[in-house]
Amino acid sequence: MLVNSVVIVLREVLEAALMVSVLLAVSRLLRLGTRWLVYALVLGGIGAAAYGRLINPISELFDGVGQELVNAGLQYAVFAALAVTAFLTARQRGKPCANDSMLPTFMAISVALAITREGSEILIYVSGFVQMSDVLSSVALGSLAGAAIGFSVGVLFYYLLLAMAPRHALALSLVLLGLAASGMSAQATGLLIQADWISVAGPIWDSSAFIAEDSLTGQLMYALIGYEASPSATEAGIYAASAGVMAISVVIGLTWFSKSPND
Amino acid sequence: MKYLPVIAVALILAANAFAATPEFEIEIRNHLFHPDVLTIPANTKVKLIVYNRDPTPEEFESYELNREKVIMGGRKAIIFIGPLPPGEYPFFGEFNPQTALGKIVVEDADDAG
Repeated sequence: MLVNSVVIVLREVLEAALMVSVLLAVSRLLRLGTRWLVYALVLGGIGAAAYGRLINPISELFDGVGQELVNAGLQYAVFAALAVTAFLTARQRGKPCANDSMLPTFMAISVALAITREGSEILIYVSGFVQMSDVLSSVALGSLAGAAIGFSVGVLFYYLLLAMAPRHALALSLVLLGLAASGMSAQATGLLIQADWISVAGPIWDSSAFIAEDSLTGQLMYALIGYEASPSATEAGIYAASAGVMAISVVIGLTWFSKSPND
Repeated sequence: MKYLPVIAVALILAANAFAATPEFEIEIRNHLFHPDVLTIPANTKVKLIVYNRDPTPEEFESYELNREKVIMGGRKAIIFIGPLPPGEYPFFGEFNPQTALGKIVVEDADDAG
């Protein structure tokens, strides 16, 4: 039970932890403060609790695929919020934000939605053991350990980014946000396929022999860039298109709407 | 492009997708899947109905099938799978990964496929 709990919670936490660490690094470099993260954690916690509580009626919606549709909606929304975040970050060109910037708001929306999605699964998992006093303590301990490992990886990642030259750190952060957001968008599409709202042909490739999704590398790549070993053409296409949208957001931010040097 | 013939067949089959989608059922009891091996036809989308007869929640999960879905205690879940090339696709219950193990075997309905 202990090891199971560590693995389950770590898997859920890792993706959000990596996203938060990149956003926090950007936040630090652009001097945005950390108040947005507090709002995001509180709102995400409330969202996760509400979603976890409503999972039965939500699952029944749309002929039994409500869960897929809500999760897909949450993930597309994270993608959209990260696209705006990337645009607003790029237009700063490394200069600190003005107080009226919308950047912290969109960072908070991204994180709150991601926590709602992943956090609800953790709460549902733990809720299954609440009545079972014999294993509850090891589940709780394992969950805490899993969360702690996830946060540690995030902290490590944060300091790795901040150890770089600010220009490079911001550029790398934008690339990572772009890939993570594209992964979210592709996963959301996968959920619509699972719900049979989109029909697809079979997988277009299978790279599980090189990097298995359940390997450590596979798990890290899943959390970081949304790695999928055997995607359909639709998911791969959506990933590429989403990466294109993220790249365009950055380019538009850097060129047309960028803050002039005198700002 | 070793899957090109598969894609071609799948596209033809997709055109017939409005015909009935075959349904298959699996039960979860005492954190075990019944049956734990399920054979489905190749290159065909199927509707999998998973009944969770346990009082505790479970998450149906498969890396190979690219599927994950939470199924609360005493509830059922509908999961669409495929179309898939022939092969074995393991799945597991993420909340009880030591015991809740199974696999989907995808076979050609006839050797012509």
